[in-house]
This record gives sequence, C-alpha cells and structure tokens, in this order.
Amino acid sequence: MAATFFGEVVKAPCRAGTEEEEEEDDEGRRETPEDREVRRQLAKKREVRLLQGQTKTSLEVPLLEKYPCSKFIIAIGSNAVAFLSSFVMNSGVWEEVGCTKLWNEWCRTTDTVHLSPTEAFCVFYRLKSNPSVFGSCPRKNMQITILTCRHITEYKTPEAPSSLPSPFLKALKTQTYKDAVCCSLLEQPNIAHDLPAAVLSYCQVWKIPAVLYLCYTDVMQLDLVTVEAFKPALSSRSLAGLAKNIPQSTEMLKRLMTTSEIQSNIYT
Amino acid sequence: MASRYDRAITVFSPDGHLFQVEYAQEAVKKGSTAVGIRGTNIVVLGVEKKSVAKLQDERTVRKICALDDHVCMAFAGLTADARVVINRARVECQSHKLTVEDPVTVEYITRFIATLKQKYTQSNGRRPFGISALIVGFDDDGIPRLYQTDPSGTYHAWKANAIGRSAKTVREFLEKNYTEDAIANDNEAIKLAIRALLEVVQSGGKNIELAIIRRNQPLKMFSAKEIELQVSEIEKEKEEAEKKKSKKST
Repeated sequence: MAATFFGEVVKAPCRAGTEEEEEEDDEGRRETPEDREVRRQLAKKREVRLLQGQTKTSLEVPLLEKYPCSKFIIAIGSNAVAFLSSFVMNSGVWEEVGCTKLWNEWCRTTDTVHLSPTEAFCVFYRLKSNPSVFGSCPRKNMQITILTCRHITEYKTPEAPSSLPSPFLKALKTQTYKDAVCCSLLEQPNIAHDLPAAVLSYCQVWKIPAVLYLCYTDVMQLDLVTVEAFKPALSSRSLAGLAKNIPQSTEMLKRLMTTSEIQSNIYT
Repeated sequence: MASRYDRAITVFSPDGHLFQVEYAQEAVKKGSTAVGIRGTNIVVLGVEKKSVAKLQDERTVRKICALDDHVCMAFAGLTADARVVINRARVECQSHKLTVEDPVTVEYITRFIATLKQKYTQSNGRRPFGISALIVGFDDDGIPRLYQTDPSGTYHAWKANAIGRSAKTVREFLEKNYTEDAIANDNEAIKLAIRALLEVVQSGGKNIELAIIRRNQPLKMFSAKEIELQVSEIEKEKEEAEKKKSKKST
C-alpha cells in the first residue's frame, strides 16, 4: 500500500464488484520457454549507432569528446523541438555534427540489419559562430538544458484540472545547477519520466549542472500555444543570447505548423 | 491511480469522481477550437477549420450545423458523436414544431441535448458523448442566446465562450476583450470572434470558418473572401494601434 496524494486510490480493493479482467487466464497469460527465447534473441538485436555529420559514417569516439561543449541543450518531443528550431536554431548558423539511429523490438521496421536511412532518432547540431557553445572546455564546465512536454492530466495537484493555467512550465534541476530557473520547481508527488529523467539522473550522479524545463500541456501534438509556453526559458542563462530574432522565430514557427498538420477524422 | 474506478461509467470513485465523464472532457480538447459570441443584435460562431485531405470533399467536414432556421450549433470533440447528437436535435426541433406549432426556444433544445448527454453518463454499457457544443440563436422574443453543453450533461448560458483545443487561452482573451463597446455593433462582434480565434489558430484567416445569425434572419455562413476581408481589417487596426503606442512612448 502506498501513500495517496490528492484522493487518488492506490491498490485499494474495488467496491464495484469483481472485475473480469483480474481473473487469471491460464492459457493466454503464462509465458512459455519459447516466448522467453524469442524475446532474448530480439533483445540481442537492439542497436544504437552514432553517426558523424554529413558523411554518416560511424563515430567511434563519444560525441562530446570529439566536440566538447559548455552548453548542451536537448529537446524531446515535437513541441520542444519546434521551440528549439524556431527560436534558438533560427538565430545563427547551426551545423549538423552527428545523429543517432537505433533499433529495438518496438521499432516499426522489420529490418534489423540495416537501420533506416532516413529516420534519425536524434540529431546533434553545433553553433558555428559561437565556439563557447561547443568549445574546448572540460566536461566539468558543461551545463545541460532539457526541454520536454507532458500531458496535463499527468500533473498531480489538489486543484481541479480545469483550473490549471494550461500550458505551464515547471523546472527540475540537479544539485550542482546554481543558476536561477525561470519558473517554479516541479512539486511532489510529480516526477520526471523516460529520457529526461535518465539524463537528469546521470547529471546528478556525475555532478553536472543540468535543468529540465517541463511543459504541461493538453495538446501533445505540435501546437502554437504550447511551443510559446517555453519562451520563459529564453531568459535563463543556458539559453540566454541564443535566441536573437523573436518576430522571425514566430513566423518560422507558424510555417512549421502548416507543414505538419495531421489529418484525423475522428475529432473535429 | 484512477484505474479501478474508471472503467465502468456507472461507478463513482471514493472521492466522488466519474472518471469516464472527465476523460470525455479530454476528448473534447482534441477537437479544434470553436468560439461563440452573443452580441446585442447578432450571435456569432467561429471555428478553426480542420485542414482537409486533398481528396476529401470540404463540404462534408463541417463544425457549424443548423439545428433549425433560427438555431445553430458548433461542436468540438468526436465527429461521430456530434453527428448522432445533431440528428437527434434536428428531429426534436421539427417534432416540437409539429406538436406545439411553435419553433423551439434555444434553451429548450439546449436542455434536450444536455439531457440526452446526461442519460449516457448514467447508463450501463454506454460511454458519454465526447463532445461539447455551443448553441446559438434567437428566440421569438428577439433576445439573442448562447449556451454551452459539455459531456457531463450540464448547460449554461454565456455571453461569450470557447470550446475545444486551447479553449482556455481563447476564454482568457474574451474575458479581457468582451466589453459593451466590443459588441456595440454587429461588425465589432464578428471581429471579436475572429480576433479570439486568431490567438490560437495556427495559420491565420484561411483556417477560420464563421457563421452569424441576425434577429429574424436565417443563418449566414461567411465565405473565405469575407473572412479574409475581416482578417485584413483586424491586422490593419493592430498595426495602427502599435504605431500609436510607439508614438506615445517616443
């Protein structure tokens, strides 16, 4: 039994009566040794490959050793990426220095030998004009900024969901990050998940200053209002000076929106 | 989490939530924005038009529908649920007219739709309707009305409201800008609706659809050209306001 926050129930017996889904289905549920073997074989085929710049040849050395930097910014999710592309990468010339491609058993391609040539999981850029963003500084002076989004229904709070000022920004930082954050910190019991959590944990362990800016929104697809919710982050030290032309950025953002409209007839 | 109490619609959670109804309200947020404004002599409905696939017939993708000659509604949420609700409402409008020889009042048809929605929050084996609706029109007494319904079956009268994606942002804009001056004449009310939508519509005027009802007149859908005209007027006014601001500061 875990503590409950704000009235949600954790593992309490259901008063609605027995639920059929809970009954054991002996035939379907048990995993056979063959299933386990198939799973093991698939797991062996998981691959993450780091490719270099335009040549797309494999990079043997870790990227940060080849291109040491003082500021490392990661954007995860379509809204965070759109924010970075239109506000930060629109000012100044950024060159692609590498990308990663990966394959695991949840990927949609069945080709395990050759990773898809077009789909890069992550692309790395560096600012040509400003050597300090990717400069020859030792790793200790590196500062990491992570931008990502999460659905507002996952935000635990005593307030009613409809009263929350969606979208809004919350921050989570490592112990060594001493600069001011541009929004309030993420309150308990909320936590970071997935890749941002992994990066923050790594930074906390290795004492690298890092901050996560997490935008809670009710539109997870590319959305103007959500992307603009990241704007306060431009005043933080990590992104300061990187976004120069705000009106042009807004124009570029609008263009990104029109090129990525998804047709769905279920919702109107 | 809520998983034990969110599968059956007829089950309350210990702290009084009906999770399926709340989840239905999330489904509404997946629909594009719709805004309704009640003016002095006009009611306006504006919607963000969904981008239509190349081979799709645009006329069949409509967010604004007439329920009768003097009432129309815009919805946000599940398209198929909206179709069912609209059909039932249309039949009810005609049935009412034939039975009591009077057209429905806006409040009557809103109450009908809301009651229908509420039934589906209390029935076993059915899920709630995943739509919110903005219903506008004029009653026989000549007073303009705007009502909003949501998946739980509640309905309220509003002076101006928005539903669908980013509805909160639009509502905040309306709270700041809905003044007696702003709805003083019909054109100003129309401009307010368009300005509210432009706050959140991704690509400007060409993705907006607008409908108005004036007292004793049928529903009028604006053409793309008419909307563009309004949008360019709004942009001109914005520029002039900004010029004045910069003059004042210097």
